[in-house]
Amino acid sequence: MAVPSADKVQEIREVTRIERIGAHSHIRGLGLDDALEARNVSQGMVGQMDARRAAGVILEMIKDGKIAGRALLIAGHPGTGKTAIAMGMAQALGSDTPFTSIAGSEIFSLEMGKTEALTQAFRKSIGVRIKEETEIIEGEVVEIQIDRPATGTGAKVGKLTLKTTEMETIYDLGQKMIESLTKEKVQAGDIITIDKATGKITKLGRSFTRARDYDAMGAQTKFVQCPEGELQKRKEVVHTVTLHEIDVINSRTQGFLALFSGDTGEIKSEVREQINGKVAEWREEGKAEIVPGVLFIDEVHMLDIESFSFLNRALESDMAPILIMATNRGITRIRGTNYQSPHGIPIDLLDRLLIISTTPYEEKEIRQILKIRCEEEDVEMSDDAMTVLTRIGMETSLRYAIQLITTANLVARKRKATEVDVDDIKRVYSLFLDESRSTQFLKEYQQEFMFNELAPSESMETS
Amino acid sequence: MAASSSWVELLKNSQKTCMIQDGRRKLHFTLQDGRELAEEYNVKTNELVVRKWKKKSTLGGAGNWEYEVGEQLATKNIQAEGLMESNTNPIFVRKDTALSFQWRIRNLPYPIDTYNVTCDDNQNIIIRTTNKKYYKKFGIPDMERCNLKLEQSQLSIAHANNTLIVTYKKPTGILEMEKELQTEFSKLKASKDGDVDCTPS
Repeated sequence: MAVPSADKVQEIREVTRIERIGAHSHIRGLGLDDALEARNVSQGMVGQMDARRAAGVILEMIKDGKIAGRALLIAGHPGTGKTAIAMGMAQALGSDTPFTSIAGSEIFSLEMGKTEALTQAFRKSIGVRIKEETEIIEGEVVEIQIDRPATGTGAKVGKLTLKTTEMETIYDLGQKMIESLTKEKVQAGDIITIDKATGKITKLGRSFTRARDYDAMGAQTKFVQCPEGELQKRKEVVHTVTLHEIDVINSRTQGFLALFSGDTGEIKSEVREQINGKVAEWREEGKAEIVPGVLFIDEVHMLDIESFSFLNRALESDMAPILIMATNRGITRIRGTNYQSPHGIPIDLLDRLLIISTTPYEEKEIRQILKIRCEEEDVEMSDDAMTVLTRIGMETSLRYAIQLITTANLVARKRKATEVDVDDIKRVYSLFLDESRSTQFLKEYQQEFMFNELAPSESMETS
Repeated sequence: MAASSSWVELLKNSQKTCMIQDGRRKLHFTLQDGRELAEEYNVKTNELVVRKWKKKSTLGGAGNWEYEVGEQLATKNIQAEGLMESNTNPIFVRKDTALSFQWRIRNLPYPIDTYNVTCDDNQNIIIRTTNKKYYKKFGIPDMERCNLKLEQSQLSIAHANNTLIVTYKKPTGILEMEKELQTEFSKLKASKDGDVDCTPS
């Protein structure tokens, strides 16, 4: 495993980040080479070579965009990287392909029918690339001024001065715009465009007139000319909207009625039919292009028999996206019936699926994943501590070991150490029980807990 | 006058509503292609006060009114818009008189020799400033609808009270068409403000 050092150089990450660190935020792709061979450690992915290769093949199919309504099932034990593979696919597809991720239990809600929720999820995963005329503001930033209220709380106010070669305009900024300007780190001398309808800010580069301001300049700094003419321009831009977004735009109840119906709610099937017709029309005229995306349903065994039969039907439509499902169940009861079936999915749906399986990680791989997580969470760990943690990961579970990283780091910091040591790991290992020790504990002390006098029911409900 | 009559035909074929309110004759047209046009005329002088358009966006959502003549008087909400032009900026408004098209640009404090107003080949009027503070390129939709060419000689400017006034004399074709439209409009049955169909008890 000599590859990692080379990979580390490849992956330049931004210095600052605003997002919080999630369970899968270290995943940046599937980690495949051009021949779709899985690299052992790459883009945050470790091991699961076969599953990743299979996912890569599916990815090619999605990018081709020709085949509709295929479905993929990722099956494997808990904590073997099923969700990570799906996230990797999403990252590899890029932001222009719609990727919707839902959990199986999300479709059960009081406000919306199961099939409505599934239809919305399906339609969120189909993009339409269309030309639209929008108003944009394009200019060089002369001055940006943000005033914080003296009391420290309350809305910020700001002013932005933009210019072209011919004119200058001052804009008043709202709270949202101030936030996105600070997020983009816009400063005087930048050439920016603002989409008036969406408020999206794009930095085009720095003005040539500012080229000599500083000697030290990032390698990526691009110099552009100050725009000419008027600041506000009408421009045709091509962008991707999902079918669901078009549905919402066309279904919103007008006037005061909008107060009573929520933002979306259920969308009438007539509206959908009308939009399907319109999109087909645009496609024939060459105005729009369909971008089939991906719908990922995690914990798919939580769907019930009606939803499964709905999926069967929905996959047959030529507007269907690629469906990816993940489950960690073996042969179990299909929800809503008394029948047993592999993965809790009816056989007729299983028959339409391509199935990828993930295998438990080996020791080397667990070590590697823990290392990546340490990097992601900015935790320094000694080699011995890493070995101990890897052993814990092997004997308990990967998720438990990952949880210990953060906690051990906190313990290490309390004793003013910069590096997590074996003792810190031991400390948190004794503080927090893992699942098997907790079970053990319960078995021993069953008598002391409440309600133990009741006879335990024959078997636990699993779905 | 084949070109100007096509505009008159377009209005004749649209669905019209007329109302007299606050001394203004308010007209609303729904054109056959789905666009909406609203006009307001002063009842006494028959001067056009407001003309605004509304059309559906590509994706089907309802758009906002776009003002061709006159200005939006309702205050905008910055929280909703995120970004809007500061009220210290020059404000560009078209306000016609009986004999000419006129544009008023308020909040322009620079002296009159700063401005350079020209017509270009693409049927646009361009206002430039020598101090590079203001620039505006605009056409006259009325002239475009009648396929009339712009002429530099008809343009004149004036400056007073921080306001730049650009005037373009209406050619006879436009004047005749407006007269014809006014006679059509006066035939429309207008509902008076305060007319209520049923008697409230």
